[in-house]
Amino acid sequence: MSFLLRRLSFYFTAFLLAISFNFLLPRMMPGDPVDALFAAAQGKIDPAAMDAIREMYGFVDGNIFQQYIAYMQSVFTLDLGPSVLMFPVQVTDVLAMALPWTMFLALGSLIVALILGVGIGTYASYRREGLFGQVVPPVLAFISNFPYVVTALLLFYFFGLKLELLPLAYTYNPDVDPGLSLEFIGSVLKHAILPMGSMILVGIATWVFNMRNAMINVLGEDYVTMAQAKGLSSFRVMYRYAGRNAILPVATAIAMAIGFSFAGSIMTEIVFNYQGLGNILLKGIMARDYPLIQAILLILVSAVLTANFIADLLYVWLDPRISK
Amino acid sequence: MNNLTASDANPSVPHHESEFKQKCRAAWKKSKAFFHGNPPGIIGGFLITMILLGALFAPVLTTHNPDKRVARPHVAPNAEHIMGTTRSGRDVYSQVLHGARKTLSVALFAGIIATVIAVAVGVTSGYFGGKIDEWMNFITNVFLVFPQLPLLIVLAAFLGQVGSALIAVLLGITSWPWGARVIRSQTMAIRSKEFIISAEVMGESKLRIILVEILPNLISIVFGGFLGTVIYAMGAEAGLGILGLGDATEVSWGSMLYWAQTSSSLYTGAWWEMIVPASALALTGGALALLNMSIDQVSNPKLKTGPHLKLWKKLNKEADKRRGLV
Repeated sequence: MSFLLRRLSFYFTAFLLAISFNFLLPRMMPGDPVDALFAAAQGKIDPAAMDAIREMYGFVDGNIFQQYIAYMQSVFTLDLGPSVLMFPVQVTDVLAMALPWTMFLALGSLIVALILGVGIGTYASYRREGLFGQVVPPVLAFISNFPYVVTALLLFYFFGLKLELLPLAYTYNPDVDPGLSLEFIGSVLKHAILPMGSMILVGIATWVFNMRNAMINVLGEDYVTMAQAKGLSSFRVMYRYAGRNAILPVATAIAMAIGFSFAGSIMTEIVFNYQGLGNILLKGIMARDYPLIQAILLILVSAVLTANFIADLLYVWLDPRISK
Repeated sequence: MNNLTASDANPSVPHHESEFKQKCRAAWKKSKAFFHGNPPGIIGGFLITMILLGALFAPVLTTHNPDKRVARPHVAPNAEHIMGTTRSGRDVYSQVLHGARKTLSVALFAGIIATVIAVAVGVTSGYFGGKIDEWMNFITNVFLVFPQLPLLIVLAAFLGQVGSALIAVLLGITSWPWGARVIRSQTMAIRSKEFIISAEVMGESKLRIILVEILPNLISIVFGGFLGTVIYAMGAEAGLGILGLGDATEVSWGSMLYWAQTSSSLYTGAWWEMIVPASALALTGGALALLNMSIDQVSNPKLKTGPHLKLWKKLNKEADKRRGLV
């Protein structure tokens, strides 16, 4: 149990650091932060909203320490103020609509890439001297290292625009009513194929190579030779004997991949006009809606930290030794 | 002394050959051994050489000024403009070569900064251990767990449009933790080896042990990490560029993507404005990855496939035969 407690306190500290960074950001801008903050919104925003945002940022009377406390209070009470861009809608309401889509894209593609990558990596290392083992890993290494935006753009152009196979925007067909109907789920899946596909393409090589490196160490073990000598099918030896033991070091890489996946989701959403956080971030940047931008960073950090904690739970479940 | 005996024993090497030439010969031999039976390495190395040469000789190879309007907007690829022109009538071919200089120098510069920090943090925390390690490891983990790119995007949004030099520095100081982690664990593995202990017993200074005994053993890992950071930095620069957070007046692959996006070139059928810089980014990233994969095989020979594995099996069989097992 102490392992999970230690992890929890680590994530809490990291979260506090992120809040502090957010608090310092507007104060690092050149000139008077409050003026700069509202320069873009001048005239378009009423004084009441400005006061609300000012208060949320902790620009209250008093020294910087008191301001910091005020800011903390507004963060922990989830009072992130109104959005400048979509006034008078609260920032939290805007984000609550977008966050599920980003989570769906980031975590969904991570899980699919993980499963596919581990499978391919296991097979590629088991048949190392064969054609599969020699050709597939380098090809995947090549494709997976295209930048997120580039893979998304190429897929967008060829499958969306040229072949007109798949939809180019939105998370689902606006004509379909959201609900638990087959039509709605089908529409969501259809709209997710391209963005998710491009993220899987980028993410998959990490798992193939992690799994391959771990497998190569395990394949030299005596119990694998023993299993082969017993005449077990190679599928059984590959996945039940070698693969099961190789997966542990691979699981440690999940923590690192979560942050990457969320970053990739942001870039991919912009290309595919997918209605997640990335899209709102782009709108926020163009409108210089600083409260919205900061709230997105905060919510992304919380999502990544939470996902990391879940990965820790998974790790404890895979290897109970570490919780002792 | 060693060099003399080596050239005496080998009559094909002339006696009067200068030391420089011998070194060149050794380097050539080493690179031949690296590329032999290693198609990913050959392909990656070839592509990177071409891209670097293209960037280096951009002023000679290009036909037009990348910053000037030289034709009508969105001219399709033809003999004069082999990759077409942009919405503002600039030559795409000239832009992509000149853009390579900016993009690659940003990525390389960021890679160097990140690698220096990663080596410093990784080796210090791996070698000294204890409280220093605890603190440095904590900082590394915090940096690791934060989503780097969104952090960078927000920072850039607050700073306004940032120049490429600042982007390189920001990328460098945020992308070191991956390298630091690998270097730390490798240093910890080396630290308890006999040659380090004997160096300590002989009273060598800590600095000398780190620089002379430990670092040379980390070279392939450090270089692999460097290439990984360069790939990441290139992608991040392109991402910031397309968001309009880079300096759009400079010619780089990121700013080319930005202008192609704002002129919605894909929708109007002017695919070349978008696909050319995108393919340049893709090719460079892929080629660097292939090179990185080959370097992995140097630091971990177990990863070798193909001809190396066949050779090993053959030798193994031969050995078994001599032992009388077969």
